[in-house]
Amino acid sequence: MNNTTLQQDSLHRRNPGFCKTRVPFRNTNRESQKVSTSQCHKFMLWIDGVGAWQLCVGDSFIVGAPSFEQQSADIALLANVSRHHATLRRMGEEWRLEAHHKTSVSGKEVADSTVLHSGDEIRLAERVRLGFRIPSVLSTSAVIDFESDHRPSHSVDGIILLADHCLLGPRRDHHVYCSRWPELVVIYFQGGQLRCRSKMPLTVDGAAIRDSAVLKHGSVVMADDLRFRVEQME
Amino acid sequence: MFEQRDKTENRPGTIIMKFTFAPESRPLDGYTIKRAVHRGGFGEVYYALSDAGKEVALKLLNNNLDVELRGVSQCLNLKHPNLVTIFDIRTDADNDHWVIMEFVSGRGLYETLQDYPNGMPVQEIKTWLAGITAGLSFLHDRGIVHRDLKPANVFRDHGGVKVGDVGLSKYISESRRSAQTQSVGTVYYMAPEVAKGRYGLEVDVYAMGVMLFEMLTGNVPFDGQTTAEILMKHLTADPDLSVLPTNLRPVLESALEKDPDKRTHSVEELERQFCNAIAASDASAPVTLVGKSARRASIDSANAGRPAPQAEVEDAQPASSETVSPAPVMGVATMAAFWNSLPMPLQWVLGGATALLVIESGMIRPVAVGGMFGGVAYLGYQLIKSFVGEMNPPQLTAGRSFEAQKFTAQQQAAAGTGAEQDRRKASMAATYVPQLENSVGSRRAANRMAARVYTPATLRKISKSQRSADMLTSITVSLAASALVTVAVFYTTALLKDASQATYFGAITMLAAWGLIIPSKLWEGRRGDSLTRRICLGTVGLGIGFLAAVLPEYLLIDGDGLFKGVGHQVVQVGRISVADGSGYPTAACFIMFFAALFVCRRWWWQADSFRKSRFRVSTALFTLIVGVIVTGMLQDFGFPDALGATWALAISAVVQLSAGWTPAEDRRLEPAPELTQQQQPSATERAPTLA
Repeated sequence: MNNTTLQQDSLHRRNPGFCKTRVPFRNTNRESQKVSTSQCHKFMLWIDGVGAWQLCVGDSFIVGAPSFEQQSADIALLANVSRHHATLRRMGEEWRLEAHHKTSVSGKEVADSTVLHSGDEIRLAERVRLGFRIPSVLSTSAVIDFESDHRPSHSVDGIILLADHCLLGPRRDHHVYCSRWPELVVIYFQGGQLRCRSKMPLTVDGAAIRDSAVLKHGSVVMADDLRFRVEQME
Repeated sequence: MFEQRDKTENRPGTIIMKFTFAPESRPLDGYTIKRAVHRGGFGEVYYALSDAGKEVALKLLNNNLDVELRGVSQCLNLKHPNLVTIFDIRTDADNDHWVIMEFVSGRGLYETLQDYPNGMPVQEIKTWLAGITAGLSFLHDRGIVHRDLKPANVFRDHGGVKVGDVGLSKYISESRRSAQTQSVGTVYYMAPEVAKGRYGLEVDVYAMGVMLFEMLTGNVPFDGQTTAEILMKHLTADPDLSVLPTNLRPVLESALEKDPDKRTHSVEELERQFCNAIAASDASAPVTLVGKSARRASIDSANAGRPAPQAEVEDAQPASSETVSPAPVMGVATMAAFWNSLPMPLQWVLGGATALLVIESGMIRPVAVGGMFGGVAYLGYQLIKSFVGEMNPPQLTAGRSFEAQKFTAQQQAAAGTGAEQDRRKASMAATYVPQLENSVGSRRAANRMAARVYTPATLRKISKSQRSADMLTSITVSLAASALVTVAVFYTTALLKDASQATYFGAITMLAAWGLIIPSKLWEGRRGDSLTRRICLGTVGLGIGFLAAVLPEYLLIDGDGLFKGVGHQVVQVGRISVADGSGYPTAACFIMFFAALFVCRRWWWQADSFRKSRFRVSTALFTLIVGVIVTGMLQDFGFPDALGATWALAISAVVQLSAGWTPAEDRRLEPAPELTQQQQPSATERAPTLA
């Protein structure tokens, strides 16, 4: 059983969409030298009845086009933009956008960098529009929505930039709005591991969890009315 | 209403999320299931990836379905941008049938309808309708009837509308065993002749009529607790079309006709009729809402061969305003339309005459009695509505003006996109304005329209400095305004006997205006519900009332003529004397008067920069009537009626004259209105909530 799952995973890893987006970083390109290195962990959340969400853990995230030669952008959009088009950086409570190429935020062109506010529209090059919002007052974590029809190569409904917590739950101000869930599930990053907890009785990979549990690549989290799978994008 | 329906029925997705297949399972060779999408028409739907990474939707057909595979092949090769493409139908190792189809990533019409519980904007409806019509007429043209058209089967992907489950229902039918357990979600859209086994393309027209009705009003025309009840209504009951704008009634009446032979004969015909009705209401709407000049303008622009952009701004109004609160609003709207059609000088003369008549002629008593009944009924209506609003969030801000209701309802419903819509409408208004600049009359119409686009309910970002500057200016101007108003009262009425009385009257008027302007300016552009704001203003009113009661003693004013009331009752509530029988009002009377006056009007609209015009006679008059009603209630306690009514009028005049106002053509929204970040607590407040 376990073996077949692994086999499926490896099969699945062949899919360039979310498997080859991460290639060891080689800082050879001049352009990329002014861009700081991204040390971001990326996960996919496949949520039944809700959608697919990319969860990025780190302090800075590169937005750009996918690349196979050098380090790919964390938010890799199939779009006519540079491979390192802009960087989203969290500094404490504040989010900043550093523009490396033509970028504007809510209609104002960004010369160097700017502070992002919830509700801002980020425009890369001419036509790529991303929404930036901080849905929950309980958390600094931000959500990137795709406003133009430019998306990553794999199907993603939105990208969560994890600062402290990511809330999946039945309210509009949760990072992922799961309208039919009875209670919220909190995902957070601690000690280099992704963890989750909830007031609901959850099982992770079939084992009931007491307080919180580590989410590994392939972990399936279940409760009576919900199910989602975590996948590490390496 | 909406929620109740949602719970009692079996619509897709409301079912508890238990799915047969786990993520990463591979029921069909070559496809890996990533997640479950929903439980749809014939079974479970999964999102899956082929080994190469192509995303598809896999639909597992229920076991009790009879699949006529021979016929399905006819529909498998239909190609149309508005139809969800079916790639293949396969059978797995357990002999279950799977439909492999295009994965549609956007939101469905079903979800979109949930975002608009009071009906969708007309522009949105047009988009959906056009897409559905294109897809369906393609099918009908090939002799195929969809048979299972419903919001859960219509999707939007990258801007395009797509109809799902195309042509399958004919070949995939539920077995007789499960006929009774048919999901209610399907029954809402089922034409009456289906009961007789007749499945012509009229079935799809009927379903589209039901969906159109639902898009316009937020509710299906025939609702019930059980499948049987809904089916019976389809067969016998007439739809309630009174909730629709008049122009649209015949369109829906014909589409929802029981007899398939008399029904609108095709989906294109239905769409055409709908668009014509909308266009017709565009031409007629300005007559009631803006006046003749705008109508002429819209005809001008139509003649110029351009589809009037105004139409897009206008057309959302008849539908949604009437659906929010049908009956009481219409009367007020008609009266308001009549009033607005009067030329400005006539408004002033009529307004002034009415005010003098009411205050001077001693007609206060009869007016008050009449007004009291109306007022009580109106307050009851408001109260009920605000309570209903509490339970039903989209109507939370129960404003009086129907435009305000429309805006707030839309904003609430569309949550994040409310301001976006405002901005969109505004930009349309902006494109409309330059077109009209050739004549003075139409410019006025354009400004009025801009004023309608930006109302005090428009959420907007106002910087601290801007806000305080506005407040400071308003307060400074109010000094002059209250002096002016007091002088006017002094010379036109016999109310104020001498300079000391005039000073007292002016001072209280000014303080009251401050008490109204300061909170109003603080609330400007922010979200807040009417009830809370009224309670706040009521509290301010208590304070003003207290000052009004104690000030005469300090100023040593001879209150004889000014304060002499008619009532001589003695009323004692606990230890507080409400009326002491002397014919003079007690402090409690003053406090009650100001609190009531402050609660009964939506004062922050009178002070808002985005109010319709700087000074509206009708607003002042309406405040006067409220003042008359309030004093009428207090009359028996010895409260002087003329003074109370005049005060109401004077305060409204001062507030309107002094509060900062932005002319319609200068109204702009800052790029990022405060929506989600409004009350972001500090870091220290955040931590414990999550623990």
